[in-house]
Amino acid sequence: MNSAMKLIVPVLVTCVVAATGLSLTYSLTAPKIAEQDRLAEERSLKAVLPEADAFGCIEDTAVIEQAQAVADPVQIIDMFQATEGGKPIGWAVKVSSRGYGGPMIVVVGLDTSGSTTGVSILSMNETPGLGTKVQTEPWFLEQFIGLPGGYTDGDVRALDAISGSTRSSNGIRNAVAAAGRVYAEILFEMEGVSE
Amino acid sequence: MSEWMRVFRQGLSVENPLTVLMIGLCATLAVSTQFQNALFMGLAVIFVLTMSNVLVSLFRRVIPDQVRIPIFIVVIASFVTIVDLVMKAYVPSVYQVLGIWIPLIVVNCIILGRAEAFAYRNGVGLSIADGLGMGTGYWIVIALLAVIRELFGTGKIVWFESTLISLPAGYAPPSLLLLFPGAFFVFAFMIAGARLINERFEARKEGAA
Repeated sequence: MNSAMKLIVPVLVTCVVAATGLSLTYSLTAPKIAEQDRLAEERSLKAVLPEADAFGCIEDTAVIEQAQAVADPVQIIDMFQATEGGKPIGWAVKVSSRGYGGPMIVVVGLDTSGSTTGVSILSMNETPGLGTKVQTEPWFLEQFIGLPGGYTDGDVRALDAISGSTRSSNGIRNAVAAAGRVYAEILFEMEGVSE
Repeated sequence: MSEWMRVFRQGLSVENPLTVLMIGLCATLAVSTQFQNALFMGLAVIFVLTMSNVLVSLFRRVIPDQVRIPIFIVVIASFVTIVDLVMKAYVPSVYQVLGIWIPLIVVNCIILGRAEAFAYRNGVGLSIADGLGMGTGYWIVIALLAVIRELFGTGKIVWFESTLISLPAGYAPPSLLLLFPGAFFVFAFMIAGARLINERFEARKEGAA
């Protein structure tokens, strides 16, 4: 074995063993992680539109792209049509909005008239005890409920922010405002389309 | 055995990674805003540190000197990824808050530092003592720091949605404690405290000898 091989082989062996160990761990935990993600998403969808019994994800990429253009700078992750017994009752828009500690994943629920039914935070990285107040102070998310159909960015901005957590509050406000724009420009015209 | 205990206790006291060696502070100051998260962070560090110490010390004779750092990093990164996946699967609420800090344990100087400075030069038994001692030393300090910051910064300590202790309602918590400057202030006092304790111990030992 020449001297280069003496260095290469140990590194290679280490990497192979590590990769094997990791793929094993991954295959053991992957179903559980997928389940946790699904549960978390389901919980937030249910939280914003409690009456709905099914959520159909909008798969049409052209619609998503259009929505993305309207929502900018907030990013659209998914849009769902909520139904109750097959009848459309509203929309859930899952977006990623910039907070203080990075992206905040927020789900905004709208009824068929475009009025907000609820806002739920799926994940965020805000300062615990400070930025996280957007979630732990119930009045904050509740104030977004019942904004009238066709609400504007100004309507959202007029609502209160949490003092000391302005950027976290803005993350949520931008998400709600983006959902309003997406409704006004796109979802409004999709009314009644089921699946 | 006494050698084992000596190495273990060094990690807690005179070689404490946080208050004495002052390595791996970045994640510590960031995560110590909540007692619950600090506990899990500490557990993750103990696990990764001890396991990587064991592996590095087991294979120290076959790891070529020139490529030891890449090998250490692969070993450490593997254990960190395991912790990452397991936390995601079983304690998602904690994972959500710790987020990026778990993967960042890979570049935490404590772990690479111990692999390099201790495990690469010592036997498995002592390396376990070093990993557990350093890990526990880290755990105690980060937990204490988090208790102080959470209790006085938010007025209460929360453990999975339930409140463990809360200060009287009249207390207006200064949010400064939860931000980075607050972390530095509190940590400075803890370093001073640790110094005092270590000096006392040294003095007593000298007196006895």
